[in-house]
Amino acid sequence: MDIDKRMTLKEAVAKFIHDGDTVYYGGFQIMVPMALTYEMIRQKKRHLTTLQASTDVGGLDLLVGAGCVNEMHTAWTMNWYVKAVYCMRRAFQNGHLKRYDISNFGATTAMIAGFMGVPFMPIRGNTGCDMMTNNKADLRIIDDPFTGEKTTVVRAWRADVAIIHAQKVDRLGNVIAWGTRGVTDEFGANGAKRGVIVTAEEIVEPEMTRSDPDRTIVPYFKTLAVVHCPYGAHPSACRGYYGLDIRFAQYLGKYQRHADLLPAFLDEWVFGCEDHAAYIEKYKSKFGQEGLDRLKPVLGFKPKFEVDYGYHDPAVWKGVPLYMDDRLQAAEEALAKKKGGK
Amino acid sequence: MANYKLTELMVVRCAKEIADGEVVYVGVGLPLVVAAFSFATSAPNMIMFTEGGAIRATAPLALAITIDDPAAFVGGDATFGMLATMASLQRGEVDVAFIGGAQIDKFGNINSTGVGDWSKKESFTYFAGSGGANDMATCGKRTLAIIPQDRTKFVEKVDYLTTPGYLGGPGERQKNGMIGGPECVVSTMGVYKFDINTKEMYLAEYFPGQSVEKIKAACSWDLKVSPNVIETAPPTEEELKILRGIDPSGFYLG
Repeated sequence: MDIDKRMTLKEAVAKFIHDGDTVYYGGFQIMVPMALTYEMIRQKKRHLTTLQASTDVGGLDLLVGAGCVNEMHTAWTMNWYVKAVYCMRRAFQNGHLKRYDISNFGATTAMIAGFMGVPFMPIRGNTGCDMMTNNKADLRIIDDPFTGEKTTVVRAWRADVAIIHAQKVDRLGNVIAWGTRGVTDEFGANGAKRGVIVTAEEIVEPEMTRSDPDRTIVPYFKTLAVVHCPYGAHPSACRGYYGLDIRFAQYLGKYQRHADLLPAFLDEWVFGCEDHAAYIEKYKSKFGQEGLDRLKPVLGFKPKFEVDYGYHDPAVWKGVPLYMDDRLQAAEEALAKKKGGK
Repeated sequence: MANYKLTELMVVRCAKEIADGEVVYVGVGLPLVVAAFSFATSAPNMIMFTEGGAIRATAPLALAITIDDPAAFVGGDATFGMLATMASLQRGEVDVAFIGGAQIDKFGNINSTGVGDWSKKESFTYFAGSGGANDMATCGKRTLAIIPQDRTKFVEKVDYLTTPGYLGGPGERQKNGMIGGPECVVSTMGVYKFDINTKEMYLAEYFPGQSVEKIKAACSWDLKVSPNVIETAPPTEEELKILRGIDPSGFYLG
């Protein structure tokens, strides 16, 4: 099987994200799928429902601000670097956005249930609070069928399509990611009904991904589209490639705060850039190469031992007689005699 | 006496609530600074958990800006993800749930979702939401919280109950299947503990420069005050030196 799923950002979003879709919004407070966020805004996707746990650089808030999202299931949505969630706040107040609140582990458990293909899952937490009162769509209390005690359960979340950013992917769609990301992508992405759109810093040969399958978080059969996209998480961080761009997140946050200025940000940074490479060029022309250079991570933190995924070939057992000793031989013969005597 | 910032006093005071060797589930914000400071001072054998999924027995290499910051993961003991740290929390293995919040009531219930009336949408101003705060304060053996204080933030009843304290009072956590509960709150004005019988928050310490009267005025219910209320000890030069090395850019400390 060698289906080449590589395509442009534009093609991937046009082909696989439809108005009205429920979208798993990848990442956590790192690895946020920003290039995909900008492209969904460019293509004016509408009436989306988003599923995620926590997201911090304001990408999801921008998606709301651009009018793409009608419904949000979330534990924590912020532009942490301006300590607010301005677009979402306005959209909720003017009735454009329905918001369903849940805790971080409530969200993760909902995704695990979706990942497992079961309808709901018990959880501790989200009990006795206003999330339980206001979010009956995701949270209920049932009787534990074994003990009869009250138990909180979360509804399984299954998106139609998932968007994620990763370090490496091959053309088939085996997605390699490392360095903890909250670890909800594994569940949220694999649980998506149609599949996963992935942007990655690098496209590598399948022989590379298959040399380290422990690190594959999405196997190729779940992947719909593979997009080569350096800086695809910017201003969020991508482990081993670049750090968080706090200053750009703050800059974005100021535009999010001023509703009247937000269209200018979108015109300049989203609609005014043909794709993500153009956005990065725009960044360099406005804030200089030194802006990008500042994001270079401290490297050199490689495992201090080598991993060898060696295997053993059972062909070596061909012609090797069974191991036997006198005690066992006598017992076996006695058993055979007894069976023969019946 | 040393010159110090309010945030520095708060961090140093919070650290005194963590005993060496405890498992501390650290929320975003100042708790991340407290954790790094505790490792360097009074709790070198602490075990730090984050929502991002780090389990570590040593201080992060640099200040973690978020709970998913690579600096919190490099050199960690296990970095399996939120599932691992939250599962441990649900198994009852976490000593201290250490969280922030935007509003708190007299039973230690915390709001980090928003202010206003949620059912009247136009009146409601959203903050971030629960994040892991609800999970932590539900399952931790005790809760430690940092909350900025004024009359709109220290209220009779929170606008939105995101994270359970003692809910409506004595016995309510047990009724909802929860252990633990809030033990200490550090505000921008003083330190609070909880009455063992009534579960109501009371003032235990006031910060230097504050007074019981000023603090009562910045609290919208009739705050009870410990008969043994004391002034909080200011941070020492040595503590400040260590602390300033942890946040050299002043991201959290200002």
